[in-house]
Amino acid sequence: MKRVLEGSHSVAEAVRLAKAEVIAAYPITPQTHIVERLSDFCADGSLNARYLRVESEHSAMAALIGASSAGVRTFTATSSQGLALMHEVLHWASGARLPIVLAEVNRALAPGWNIWTDQTDSLAQRDTGWIQLYCETGQEVLDTTLQAFRLAENVSLPVMVVLDAFYLSHTYEPVDVPDQEQVDRFLPPFTPRFMLDTERPCAFNQMAPPDVYMEMRRSIQEGMEEALGRFAEMEDEFKKIFGRSYGAVEPIACEDAEIILVTSGTMSSTCRQLVKELRSRGEKVGILKIKLFRPFPAESIRRRLKTARKAAVIDRNFSFGSGGIFAGEVKAALCDIPERPVVFSFIAGLGGRDVTVGDLENIYMQTKNHDVPQQESIWTGLRPASAPAPDLKR
Amino acid sequence: MSAQHKMKDSIPLFVPHSFRTTESNKTGSWRFLRPRYDEKTAPCSAACPAGEDIGRIEMLTARGLFKEAWETILKENPLPAACGRVCLRPCEKECNRREFDEGIGIRTMERFLADTAARYELKPSLERLSSQNRKMAVVGAGPAGLAAAYFLTRLGYGCDVFESAPEPGGVLRYGIPAYRLPVGVLRAEIEQICGTGFNLYCQKPVTKAFLEEIQSEYDAVFLGCGRSRGVALHIAGEEAGGVEDGLQFLQKVNRGEAPSFFNAQVAVIGGGNTAVDAARTVLRLGGRPLLVYRRRREDMPAFEEEISMALEEGVQLLELWSPLRIEGKGGQYLLTLQQMKTVDTSPGERARVEPVNPQTTQELRVLHVIKAVGLEAAEEWQNPPVAQEGVLLLTNSVIVRGSPVLAYGGDLASRIKSVSHAVASGKEAAIALDILFHKGPDHVLPGLETCRVGNGSSLSMEVYMRGPRCARNRHVVTFSEINTDHFQFAPKVAQPRLLREERVSSFAEIDLRISAGLAMKEAERCFNCGLCNQCDNCRLYCPDLAVVRDNGSGGRSIDYDYCKGCGICVVECPRNAMSLEKEAPPQSRRDRREEKL
Repeated sequence: MKRVLEGSHSVAEAVRLAKAEVIAAYPITPQTHIVERLSDFCADGSLNARYLRVESEHSAMAALIGASSAGVRTFTATSSQGLALMHEVLHWASGARLPIVLAEVNRALAPGWNIWTDQTDSLAQRDTGWIQLYCETGQEVLDTTLQAFRLAENVSLPVMVVLDAFYLSHTYEPVDVPDQEQVDRFLPPFTPRFMLDTERPCAFNQMAPPDVYMEMRRSIQEGMEEALGRFAEMEDEFKKIFGRSYGAVEPIACEDAEIILVTSGTMSSTCRQLVKELRSRGEKVGILKIKLFRPFPAESIRRRLKTARKAAVIDRNFSFGSGGIFAGEVKAALCDIPERPVVFSFIAGLGGRDVTVGDLENIYMQTKNHDVPQQESIWTGLRPASAPAPDLKR
Repeated sequence: MSAQHKMKDSIPLFVPHSFRTTESNKTGSWRFLRPRYDEKTAPCSAACPAGEDIGRIEMLTARGLFKEAWETILKENPLPAACGRVCLRPCEKECNRREFDEGIGIRTMERFLADTAARYELKPSLERLSSQNRKMAVVGAGPAGLAAAYFLTRLGYGCDVFESAPEPGGVLRYGIPAYRLPVGVLRAEIEQICGTGFNLYCQKPVTKAFLEEIQSEYDAVFLGCGRSRGVALHIAGEEAGGVEDGLQFLQKVNRGEAPSFFNAQVAVIGGGNTAVDAARTVLRLGGRPLLVYRRRREDMPAFEEEISMALEEGVQLLELWSPLRIEGKGGQYLLTLQQMKTVDTSPGERARVEPVNPQTTQELRVLHVIKAVGLEAAEEWQNPPVAQEGVLLLTNSVIVRGSPVLAYGGDLASRIKSVSHAVASGKEAAIALDILFHKGPDHVLPGLETCRVGNGSSLSMEVYMRGPRCARNRHVVTFSEINTDHFQFAPKVAQPRLLREERVSSFAEIDLRISAGLAMKEAERCFNCGLCNQCDNCRLYCPDLAVVRDNGSGGRSIDYDYCKGCGICVVECPRNAMSLEKEAPPQSRRDRREEKL
């Protein structure tokens, strides 16, 4: 049924349809609407889940690790400082191979105190062993959340569903909310591969000395590698039932493109508008939208980008002392193939600053007009040093 | 220790996994602090003259175990129906919960339990020691005498109680008006106490001659004669016919010989409980009472609550006026009063007053005068002797060695004159006599010391009889030792009362019953300071599962093989029923074990 839903509520609807059994969360803007709606569902009985109020995000994840170890489907949501606080236990969840699903609403890290969108918080967790899926629209948010449960349980790894603060979390869009029956077909009840069992008491995750630790780490990576293929299979299944799919990466007008803009999140939608306009002017431009960031779909990216002359990766994030994080990953994926595009790295829209069609056109023109990038990462839309700064004292 | 999961869908999964028990890791060896269950003393019970185990009484009440709660009172106080109505409530002034929201209505609960026991005609099952080969006489069946007889009987002594009035109860029966303590309630309670097994002889006035006559028959005589004579005003005209004594007036009304005042102005001279009771009684008999007091309201020895209820009911108060003379004139009295002023108002003490200068007087025409400025023993021999060889001056009693041993108790031997102090006096004398007969005079004071409740002067019969309360630590729990994180604010259950209009027109009891549901709700508010109510926090919070619950007894113990001594159980105990102390160093631990062997 089509409904007009806030992005946060799309997540909540998906969690309700997925019949999560334990939810533990701590509120933080801009995530709070997700768990607020879920607590309503738990209160009015439309979701039969145990909702745990905890004292921090660290505790939220710790509680879910316990619940998931006991073999139930679990969910939490957080943002920014909250995700940073969870960091230690994020490693624990993946190392323990627990299929926890987390909705992460991208928000800039403080200071300066900022509640607006920025991907640095989720990307700073890229080495924790979590699968990461970035979303562009309200519909994709709902669908990806459903997919996340299936993928997580399939490969025994936790999944982070990532959405932009406000542009997605607080924006209302028409969303097709599927029937419970359809969802049940796509997502059967969770059958844990191992669980705490009072009939057969055991301990998990005790001391792992050097002679086994490496194999355990390798096993996580094998899960990640397997997840690439499983993601595609899962999406095929999803498409059969719901008629929609997204792909680990989505190429838009890439076939004959000389310059490909590489994007993620809501910025991809603005790019679609730009590409429509540029194409009408005869420019050979395309978009490669990256949805799956971990595991990184390097092979798909190589295949889509190798025919282009130039790629412009637009990052709403930054790794200090290095550059845009997506750009770094894309460059690494390309460096071993002989025929590859020149990669330009652009930084745009940090801390929720608006990235307009004009800004993106600027990026395109800079890429078109230069044979090689002038800097490692080009910061776009910066106020000139001479311009007066807005009053921060208010 | 690890297990590779062979999986149906071939995704690698290598998770550390062990089915071996971790019990071989005795984490208790890491411990340098040792928690233990250590029940302590609640401030209310230390403040209670009768030393009642109030925290436990409320705990049992909250669980609906009303008989057990009532029996817990009876271990220390035979008069809960009376004390549940007229006690000064020193316990409630010490309640730790006052610092959280509002204190517990302890007296209301005591009355509820006593009334419930009476309604269902419960019979207590209390411990009674095997009979002793000694006989005791008790003079006066007031609260002190009844308490002494009750405790002596429970300690195994044969007891005869002699009372001059037609009915037992003393001041409870004849002094306290029915609107505070109904006669039926008192009769039922005394009947219940007599069931303990002592003999009560009423209309048996004890004279000095009678006392000498019975000396050879008894090993000890407890004298709880009380104060039955009004103190004189020492002013002119006092002896005029018709000037009535306050206590005698109340006694007359309680015997059913109530006069009617028909809107007459009645002057009541005094500021104590007898004066206030007399004034309120006059009001109920249709008169217009005027309390004349030489000091200020805040100096009145009467209970503040009684004063404020009296004023609310319409009793007038004339402060800082002292009577100079009384003249009878044609069926009326002319009262000459002298104005007083305060000369020394140290806080916490009654103000000293003297006449204003120049002398200011006023005249008051009234139809009746009642004087109630203090009470004393009816006869000199009833007073306890002063300190001398062979005389033991205790807190609420005086023991005189000899044959028979004389024990003075009640109002004449207590500094504070209240019903609960009278009970304390009877108990103290009973324990002192028992120690004296079994161990000799030198053991009385140290023996009494061992059964003190907390740091105060009250004694516990349960502790003296080596009941479970013996194990209680004497430390009195303070508010800062309560973990209030585990309590929620809850309004106090208010004592329901008759409306003012209903009060002034009858002698019906002012305080009304509360329901069992309300009583349980109020009891549940109690912090149970220092007592384990088996909330299970220690077990739930223990990170090492080192707290073991005995499902049979419901009790808990600590498995020191695994207790690391983190102290979380002690911190999370809401009521300070646990203690954390330094672990003995390993060397001395071995010594201790060897000592045991």
